[in-house]
Amino acid sequence: MSLLVSRELTMRYKRSVLGIGWTFLNPLITSFVLWTIFSYVWASRLPGDQQFAPYLMAGVLLVNFFNQSVALSSESIANNSGILTKVYVPPQIFPLSTSLAGLANFLIGLIPLSIVCLISGQPIAWTFPLVIIVGVCLSLLTAGIGLILSVLYVRFDDMRNIINVLLMILMYFTPVFYPISILSPRLQQVIQLNPLNSYLDVFRWAFSNNATATLFDWLFMFITSFASIILGRWVFKKFWPRTVAML
Amino acid sequence: MTIIKVENVSLTYRVLKNRTSSIKELFRDAVKGRVRIQDFVALEDVSFTVEEGEVLAILGRNGAGKSTLLKILAGVLPPTTGISLVKGKVAPMIELAAGFHPEMTGAENVLFYSALMGRDLRKVRKRIFEIGEWAGVTDHMDFPLRTFSSGMTARLAFSTATDEPAEVLLIDEVLSVGDAEFQEKSRTRMLDLIQGGSAVVLVSHDMSAVRRLATRAIWLEKGIVRMSGNPEEVVAAYEAN
Repeated sequence: MSLLVSRELTMRYKRSVLGIGWTFLNPLITSFVLWTIFSYVWASRLPGDQQFAPYLMAGVLLVNFFNQSVALSSESIANNSGILTKVYVPPQIFPLSTSLAGLANFLIGLIPLSIVCLISGQPIAWTFPLVIIVGVCLSLLTAGIGLILSVLYVRFDDMRNIINVLLMILMYFTPVFYPISILSPRLQQVIQLNPLNSYLDVFRWAFSNNATATLFDWLFMFITSFASIILGRWVFKKFWPRTVAML
Repeated sequence: MTIIKVENVSLTYRVLKNRTSSIKELFRDAVKGRVRIQDFVALEDVSFTVEEGEVLAILGRNGAGKSTLLKILAGVLPPTTGISLVKGKVAPMIELAAGFHPEMTGAENVLFYSALMGRDLRKVRKRIFEIGEWAGVTDHMDFPLRTFSSGMTARLAFSTATDEPAEVLLIDEVLSVGDAEFQEKSRTRMLDLIQGGSAVVLVSHDMSAVRRLATRAIWLEKGIVRMSGNPEEVVAAYEAN
């Protein structure tokens, strides 16, 4: 298992010159681009002591973690069909290890986030260690979704496109680069239903008090993550015999 | 002692008749009331046991269900009905290089493959050099696998797969690999393994090897056991067919 996670991590950037440096650079660059454009538009709409740069970067990190883990773990069964049809390995470890690798990536990403906090003058809160809870919950959520999608991915050739579209829609429905307050009250209610919004609230609150996390956010986060992993494992177990025959 | 016990095993693949697996077409067909699913029977009511010390050969034409049967024994495919029980550690020797990753180095691949086979990695780490040496790729072990020639990859895979003896061996046409010299070497090693294993299931089209090695043979045709018993007799009947 640990071997699979490290393989997942090192293979992601294997042939690039910067290697693991991309784990730092990717969120930094994305955030910087978004920052240059949107800081003029929305920075003033954030409540007083909140800085836009760390707000933005937290969103980018979290959504990247979610998107990459879901996309990669849904492919993982199909991509490892060579192994799965020859040697008995518990098949769940492929989607699961992808999510764990995503978590490791996310934790590494906290370093550039801290740097951005320091530069922009946003103090890092004492609740910072709670970020790890968000990370763990999010990897449970993505693992559950990944388990379900990985089975569908084998069955339907168009899953890749569907997943990409859904991920993009979900990203725009998550307040990554805009403050939720700019939306109409009605739309805000819709966004509240997006679990990622709750994760993001807790995350931003934990690392530097950069948002308000309500009790609802905490509960929603725990419930969705546990429900997702339980449901994911159940679906996977149920459909695995039929899936493996199609590999 | 019975090592492998297969009882009334059947396996049915569900195949879409026109294998277009897009949701759109599935939906269209469902609406028109013609979801074209066809059951394809790969194995039907197969039963046998392998006792300790036996070498069972499985004969049959392409598509007779030989590889499917091996996959069931390896625990990769769950049978649709019936039971398959295997005692002890199974080493499947099926398309050996399947677990290799082109971007990992030779040494990393050896480790990863051994982990897949469920081996003790501390022991494997100490043996990496020997494994590479036996395959004749010592100088390349720290380079990515994509720089290996296909022969080198096959030799390294063989060397890794056969490095540790196993209780139950499942062999699918991999009695030997590589050039003439290596073929001799790998054949000898495989024979040692077969003699050392407590039970062996062998799929091969090489009838002389089956005659020499097997203690019993099964002839599969279209998923059904056509004949089973003494290898000489089964081979003779199979060849006459």
